[in-house]
Amino acid sequence: MTDVAAPKPQEVPTKGLGPGFWPFAIALTVLNVAVALLIYYAPLDFFLPGESNEVADRAADIDALFKFMSAFGFAIFTYVAGFVIYFAIVFRRRRGEPRETIGVQVHDSPTLELWWTIVPVLIIVALIWMSINVWAKVQFGNGSPALTMEVIGHQFYFEYRYPGLKSSVYSNGEAMHLPLGEPVRVLVTSADVLHSFWVPEIRLKATAVPGLVQNVNFTPTRTGSFQIVCAEFCGVDHSVMQGQLIIESPAAFRKWFAGEQTKAVSAAPVSLAGGDAAAGKAVFTQKCAACHAIAPFEQKIVGPGLAKLTDDPKHPTLVDGKPPTPDDIGEILENGYTGPLGAMPNRQATGISDKDIADLVAYLSSLK
Amino acid sequence: MEAGMHATPALHEHDSDDHIHPPPEGFIRKYVFSLDHKVIGVQYFITGILFMLIGGSFAELIRLQLWKPEGAIMSHEAYNVVYTMHGTPMVWLVLIPLVTGAIGNFVMPLQIGARDVAFPWLNMISFWIVPLSGVVLFSTLLYGGAHAGWTEYPPISLQDGVAGALWCLSIILVGVSSTMTGMNFMVTIIKMRAPGMTWTRMPLFVWATLATALMNMIATVALSAALLALFLEHVYNVPFFDPSRGGSPLLYQHMFWFYSHPAVYIFILPAFGVISEVLPTFARKPIFGYKMIAFSSMAIAILGFAVWAHHMYPSGLAPWIQTPFMILTFAVGVPTGIKIFSWLATIWGGRIQLTVPMLYALAFLITFTFGGITGIFLASVPANLHEHGSYFVVGHFHYVVGGGAVFGFLAGLTYWYPKVTGRMLDERMGKIGFWLFFAGLNLTFLPMHWLGLEGMARRYASYEYFAKTHPDSVFWNQFATVSSFLMVASVALLAVNLIWSLRHGKLAGNNPWGARTLEWMISSPPPYYNFKKIPIVYDRPYDFGEPLPYRNLDHETDPYPAPTRASLAGPAPFPAGA
Repeated sequence: MTDVAAPKPQEVPTKGLGPGFWPFAIALTVLNVAVALLIYYAPLDFFLPGESNEVADRAADIDALFKFMSAFGFAIFTYVAGFVIYFAIVFRRRRGEPRETIGVQVHDSPTLELWWTIVPVLIIVALIWMSINVWAKVQFGNGSPALTMEVIGHQFYFEYRYPGLKSSVYSNGEAMHLPLGEPVRVLVTSADVLHSFWVPEIRLKATAVPGLVQNVNFTPTRTGSFQIVCAEFCGVDHSVMQGQLIIESPAAFRKWFAGEQTKAVSAAPVSLAGGDAAAGKAVFTQKCAACHAIAPFEQKIVGPGLAKLTDDPKHPTLVDGKPPTPDDIGEILENGYTGPLGAMPNRQATGISDKDIADLVAYLSSLK
Repeated sequence: MEAGMHATPALHEHDSDDHIHPPPEGFIRKYVFSLDHKVIGVQYFITGILFMLIGGSFAELIRLQLWKPEGAIMSHEAYNVVYTMHGTPMVWLVLIPLVTGAIGNFVMPLQIGARDVAFPWLNMISFWIVPLSGVVLFSTLLYGGAHAGWTEYPPISLQDGVAGALWCLSIILVGVSSTMTGMNFMVTIIKMRAPGMTWTRMPLFVWATLATALMNMIATVALSAALLALFLEHVYNVPFFDPSRGGSPLLYQHMFWFYSHPAVYIFILPAFGVISEVLPTFARKPIFGYKMIAFSSMAIAILGFAVWAHHMYPSGLAPWIQTPFMILTFAVGVPTGIKIFSWLATIWGGRIQLTVPMLYALAFLITFTFGGITGIFLASVPANLHEHGSYFVVGHFHYVVGGGAVFGFLAGLTYWYPKVTGRMLDERMGKIGFWLFFAGLNLTFLPMHWLGLEGMARRYASYEYFAKTHPDSVFWNQFATVSSFLMVASVALLAVNLIWSLRHGKLAGNNPWGARTLEWMISSPPPYYNFKKIPIVYDRPYDFGEPLPYRNLDHETDPYPAPTRASLAGPAPFPAGA
């Protein structure tokens, strides 16, 4: 205890703000301004993919925000880190100095504290303002989309659905195609667990949540081939769940689309012949009854009630404006459904066989 | 409350505090089921460190796996279990027990001049739940292991089976322990401060502990509710979260983050408190802006409850709800900034001794600021749409947790080790260990920021597709793997130092650092009753160069002159020389 009870120790006076404070502060400021200029005028390709030539209109907006935050963030960091190191050197206890020596005994400075509250508040208000602006553009900036398509996450592939294509395009083996310069709305959902649709070059991402449809709106501004990444853990093969996005000229896109249409026609749907309604009822109880009741349309569990499916006047909205035919039912059982009524997993997710589909269609068609 | 509560003790001849119970006897009562907050603090420390060694080994398995893009050492299934078993114990069995359990338990009662916490039995039970929950957690490995990460988001976690149910049980147990500790500390701080220790004379570590206790008490309950629901879904098939049966996966995320965002502050706030103790001691200066630091701890604790949805920006929130969460998240930056600037002003004009705890504290200022700034990047909704779920997030939170909470913890450990053991840690080993850890942390986690921005998603057992388009990612991952072993070396050196110094360290004496808070006024290690007489506090604790503001310290004669400074005449509850 004696060490603390010694006579009042010597306070080491400090002249001004300390030796070399202003030259050091000015050097830091010069560095920060230089880095800010570099951030604004040099391409950031090392950090942000495709930065020097953005792939979608929204990427440019988000990058602008990113640059602002980088410039200010770097400056704040170098000031704090720089002064920590500077103070630790300039105000270190010198060799041989008695340990009772004390520093300048100041307790606070209301002016200083006011300033370092106000300045961060101002920076943050600016950031909020910029973020809200960019974000409003992300949500609403694209007007009405020329193309609305669906991306459905599955364990462990993406399914792409285009209006007018009878069958889906799958990420294992095929690519998602988008036309250059046309506003697109991608509706993202999932058939099983959480997934995520992320194209790093576009800077946008949406988690694919089963039973929930999310929008991703943008206009592609550069052709090329880009990776689609699942960024939400989805199981064993999460890390190999990826897809390819090809952005091409509208003409090339139409050509690809036409090819897919003919392919879809030639691909034979599941044969519905020989369906057994009794077996279908058993499959229904086992696989479907958790979401669907055999009840009027309004009686929803997750999906609508399915009694009188083929002549219920409320069902037509489901497919193409007419009451569903057995073929339509088979198609939904096979490929699932995403739309205003929610999302239903496809057969890969529900695990039903060709025969199950035929039986289910027979069963559902028999309900009058 | 000061006037009512404190007017009598010094005048009363047989106050309850004057009566010291006989020491506990026998090994079990002394060291196993001890009621002494100091022993319990050490127990928390040993438990936390053991779990840290396990969690850290899993971290190294992660780094080794990512040596090759296609995965170097294990299958995807195994990797998913490994990264889950890194994150889960690190959060619940390492950080929370170490910062609140170990340091909080050992230091806080000493700093407020109490003989123990308010409810010693509750404290003992709180501790013993932690190893129990650890056993339950690691028993999941017998059932194939939980594999959905430390968040265990349904519906994927519902595929975990028995392991998933055990995981829930284990974390519910830790939650119960945290809630009880929070309540205990809160009552202790509010009711058991030494006479004269007004709110503004409390050491800042006590303020931080108070804020933490508040969060522990309120937030943990939401976590327990979420996990109870998940547990029921696992075991009794109640469809809370399974969307195919009408459950809501988003509901779980809301409930989970309502706790788990505050959890981040639960381990960072005590670290803030440690920094506020270490900086003034080694700069030989009063803490700058005491009131603003104390106030900002409480502000962070309260704001911390209103920002949870920033973990869920792309997860399916309605667009309008994201704006308030973004604004509130940015707002947390203001009190945090106030703290950082106040600490900077604290070391300005000091006579800084670069001891090991001080090095950790200074490094904390640098790395935590970096983690805070990347946090601002993540707080902005549109920028977050790019960064969410990527390695940028991994880099960010390891800076906050490693460069923040762990540096704070290491500063506290090296600062209070002499008080706990009576011996000094070896300074040279400590300094080498510090530089290894500082370099290892930065070199491991800095490259993750650009890996993430380039498009590498987290929780990847392999990254062959990413490496195909970004060949440099292989280099940076290997770089991170090599660097991470610097941290392993540092931890090994720390372990050697802790054990070696127990026997061979220099004797510490009561107050080796020349600090001024109450725990340094008693012997090292402190006697089981802490204070023979409850000290009386006259002034704030950080006025270096002034006479100590305490009376009634347990010395034969009180060596300190009665305070004469004019300021004592005002708020002091006793006339000078009482």
